[in-house]
Amino acid sequence: MNILFVMKHRGNAGSTHAVANYMRLAPEHGHSVAIFGTPIWYVPELKFSMDIAEFDRVIYLFETELFRIKPLYQAIMLARFPRQDRLIIDTDGMYNELVTVDGYDFNHSTEADRAQWIAYMDALGDRVVQTLTTKPAHPKVSALSFFGYDPALRVDPASAPPKVYDILHVGHNWWRWKEVAKELLPAFDKIRDQVGEIGFLGLWWDGPPAEGPAAGPSQAFHSDPYAFKRLRIKTPGAVMYSDVIKTMSTARINILTQRPLLRHLKHLTQKYFEVFCADTIPLLMLDEDHAELIYGRAGRELTLPGRAAEKILDALRNPDRYRSIVEDVRSHLVAHHSYDQRARELFAAFRS
Amino acid sequence: MRILLVGTVDPWTRSVATIHKYVEWGRILGHDVSVYGSNNPELPRLPFTTDIDGVDVAIFLVQVPSDFPAMPGLARIMDQLPRAKRVVIDLWGRYNETVRIDHDFNHLEKFDSHPAWEWIDAIDALSDTVLQPTLAPRRDDVRSFLFHGFDPDAITTNHASARDAAAAWSEAGRVEKPYGLVYVGSNWQRWTQIRRILEDYRDVRDRVGQFCLAGWDWSQRPAWAVEMGLKGINTDPELLADLGVEIRQGIRFDQIVNLVSQGRFAPILHRPLFRELGLVTNRSFETFYADCIPVLMLPQDFVVSIYGRAASRLVPGEHLAAHLSAVMDDPEPYWDALLKTRQYLAENHSYRNRFQQLEGLLADREACGAAP
Repeated sequence: MNILFVMKHRGNAGSTHAVANYMRLAPEHGHSVAIFGTPIWYVPELKFSMDIAEFDRVIYLFETELFRIKPLYQAIMLARFPRQDRLIIDTDGMYNELVTVDGYDFNHSTEADRAQWIAYMDALGDRVVQTLTTKPAHPKVSALSFFGYDPALRVDPASAPPKVYDILHVGHNWWRWKEVAKELLPAFDKIRDQVGEIGFLGLWWDGPPAEGPAAGPSQAFHSDPYAFKRLRIKTPGAVMYSDVIKTMSTARINILTQRPLLRHLKHLTQKYFEVFCADTIPLLMLDEDHAELIYGRAGRELTLPGRAAEKILDALRNPDRYRSIVEDVRSHLVAHHSYDQRARELFAAFRS
Repeated sequence: MRILLVGTVDPWTRSVATIHKYVEWGRILGHDVSVYGSNNPELPRLPFTTDIDGVDVAIFLVQVPSDFPAMPGLARIMDQLPRAKRVVIDLWGRYNETVRIDHDFNHLEKFDSHPAWEWIDAIDALSDTVLQPTLAPRRDDVRSFLFHGFDPDAITTNHASARDAAAAWSEAGRVEKPYGLVYVGSNWQRWTQIRRILEDYRDVRDRVGQFCLAGWDWSQRPAWAVEMGLKGINTDPELLADLGVEIRQGIRFDQIVNLVSQGRFAPILHRPLFRELGLVTNRSFETFYADCIPVLMLPQDFVVSIYGRAASRLVPGEHLAAHLSAVMDDPEPYWDALLKTRQYLAENHSYRNRFQQLEGLLADREACGAAP
């Protein structure tokens, strides 16, 4: 199969890293993968193509934006790929009823917005998959984990970059502030004098995007730069997807958070797996059952909610014990979430 | 037949008038013609729908990229209507190799982001049947269908004879005919021809009357044209001011004939690309509804093939000023030519004919076994 991904490709966010992995693995399975578009100079390893006729399957990958291509291209694709050769991947739980979590995060702001998404996806294809490990709520949708663990990307401690941070959080400030403010900042406050550098790396931790409301709901970007300043938290800028794991490896501990909606729906993201490739101790803002669902029993040991300050200090003081837990998780990931397995699942999805 | 017209409809531009005629004549001839999309309060006479159940043929009217419907409509039409029920009318010659002539073009990536192959592949994606409004399509796989037509019921004033018409025309004062020439059309690849007309008009201006130029961007060269280096969109405000030309903004499609009727003459000109490809437009026919004398700024052989032999008299040749003076001196032979041309258009280019031609083309295609 020659598979064309139609997606908003962003080097420092989204699903680009996952697709890059499929590109790399596809030839081993006798297939090829590319992203629709023209090459981008700063990500020369990504294969882009405008030659629609070269492909026989298409994957429309949607995140939080109803990504549209120009109608002339869409017409060519619709003619080229019959419905059975189209797959829709919904990474952000958009093909659902209206979901609002704690009166804060949501998949759609209005029923009209939801209807527009559903109409779009229904017109585009018959098969919608969500990036889940469990059966989705919506009867039309099936689960496809999509994101996975690639042991080849593991950073060898011997060649890891020097540790700059004690605690690092890699991710953009997109619906994460409530959790950060409620759980993490009070924990940091308690232990601030006992830990070294803390960093929140990504976009919008210092303030909302310059685009204003066009970038999304304002509450998604809430932040408190003064609290960060008081707690001596650094906010370096975002890095390219290809530098994420290396950057995570500059910290003794990495904290994984997930926007509330996706955690509520139990959607996977690439970050779930990247953080276990890094030379670091991942600590998880997930409840224990959720952590076990993805990471196996050992994952329970790495969760933070309700005990963040104690757990962070414990991990910093007992790194060997935590490294052992992390190794157990990695073994689980190799057994259950390898990209090789993901690639088989993706290619099989077209045959089912 | 249930016919669905697919394309953007804008009350100020492109084929909106012709689309109204298809709806109107469809009803008369027992067809159900509707336009794909949601109701447009600015166009209350057009029945819009997104229901494609029972559609016998979807006709894609392709001019600009936005004529391809946005999602999800595009997928619904393409997935639910078999190819055999889809037709493309390529109104601007997109389905050709790239043509560049006198700054005009059918493809220009820097302008609309689409090079030739994208237009051709996209039109191929829509249908196996591509029609162009020219008598001589360049490609073997394109068939001729002029699409635009002539509706004799739309003539504003029916004169009993050329003599009566000429008399009324000559006697009309400044109230009935405040303008000598009226041209309605936007400043898009037409400046070279308009300037030539203006230069000739200078010699007869006092006798013929004021020139009215209605359309977008005549008063100054738009910034976007300067930015893109598009030379076909030009103007000369000093020349226009010097000649006392009245500049108007664009006007709605349903006010054009009334405005044109306020002039003694109305030039009909086709942008260079359309001349090259022999494409007709709504204005090619619509100008003949107005109570004025069209000036056919078009090649003689093209005029004869579209308008009939009598229309030759309405072609000024190389000497526009002399032609206008000759008409002013003795309008009757020109009105005679005009009335005969209207008759020819009614006989050969009526919307009744267009529907018959369309049905014939669709039947031929079925006989040839169009792809399901």
